Amino acid sequence: MAENGEHHSARPYFFVWVLLIALTATTWATGRMHLGTWALPLALAIAIAKSLLVILFFMHLWEQKGVNRIVIGTSFVFVALIISLTVADVATRFPLATPAGAPFGTDIPAQLEEPAPEIQPPAGPIGKPPRGVPEPK
Amino acid sequence: MSEAAALPGEHPVHGADEHLAHHFSSLERQVDASRLGMWLFLCTEVLLFAGLFVGYSVYRYSFPAAFAASSRASEIWAGTLNTAVLITSSLTVALAIHFVCAGRQRAAVVCLAITLFFAVAFLGIKAIEYTAHFHEHQLPGRYYRFEEVRLPGAEMYWALYFLMTGLHALHVLVGMTVLSVIAWRTAHGYYSPHYYVGIELAGLYWHLVDLIWIFLFPLLYLI
Repeated sequence: MAENGEHHSARPYFFVWVLLIALTATTWATGRMHLGTWALPLALAIAIAKSLLVILFFMHLWEQKGVNRIVIGTSFVFVALIISLTVADVATRFPLATPAGAPFGTDIPAQLEEPAPEIQPPAGPIGKPPRGVPEPK
Repeated sequence: MSEAAALPGEHPVHGADEHLAHHFSSLERQVDASRLGMWLFLCTEVLLFAGLFVGYSVYRYSFPAAFAASSRASEIWAGTLNTAVLITSSLTVALAIHFVCAGRQRAAVVCLAITLFFAVAFLGIKAIEYTAHFHEHQLPGRYYRFEEVRLPGAEMYWALYFLMTGLHALHVLVGMTVLSVIAWRTAHGYYSPHYYVGIELAGLYWHLVDLIWIFLFPLLYLI
């Protein structure tokens, strides 16, 4: 051990390593089950747990100065922001915001060329007003 | 290790220490500045990969079926094995720092050598994977000719796969270079229980490489 007595045994590292391997096995096993909706949240939760173990114990953030925690914490906040805001943008595009040839919402240009059934004029005898419209007197 | 372990903070080291740069009042401040600088650098690395993770998220949202089918068609055994390899290499780096703190330089060099061995193993497994993908024509863009998955967006999965794993492999190469220099210096007695910030920062870089892979593995192989 270091003569200043600050350093402890190497056992915690092996403990963290066993946890990391166990979590890897878990994420592998649950990945093979094809859990559908829950696959992504579960895999991300396990990945975050593993990364916390690495950051706090292998990278010693647990016992380091607060400023280093702020730096890496801030970067993770910005990663979360940049991913969630970008996906939120793509997920909430609607026809008026998605002109033909737009890279996302590829189903929209098809609608522009061929109107969807509900906006097509209702079929009926020529000269008769569409359904729902009162007959002219 | 903790800030107190880094150096004998209680007695002044002015002029007495070969490692102290003239523009720092004490070795403790110098080591703290080095650590902060490294964490800031790791921050920029995280945001560099974040760009690719954003691209992945957007295309995965747009083509969920193609991404699910393509990730199942990847070499899952290799991804899982590589995860274990990198986690174990992180352990050996952490142990190397532990041994330098304990004044056991020889054990530290052995740990760093094992880490380099694991890094080579990682790249070897990656090369086997890449070869398989090339044979199966699981390639980006118009080179995509994989018969088993014919869904729109599958070629985008492989573009992101090669970009993300390629950039990660580049980081593995840089990490190996840094760790080789650190191992050589450790073997020549450059580090001591009083001054080991270099090996500590190299370790931080290697753990970041591991950290990125921890997120790449489930996203590219499992879901």
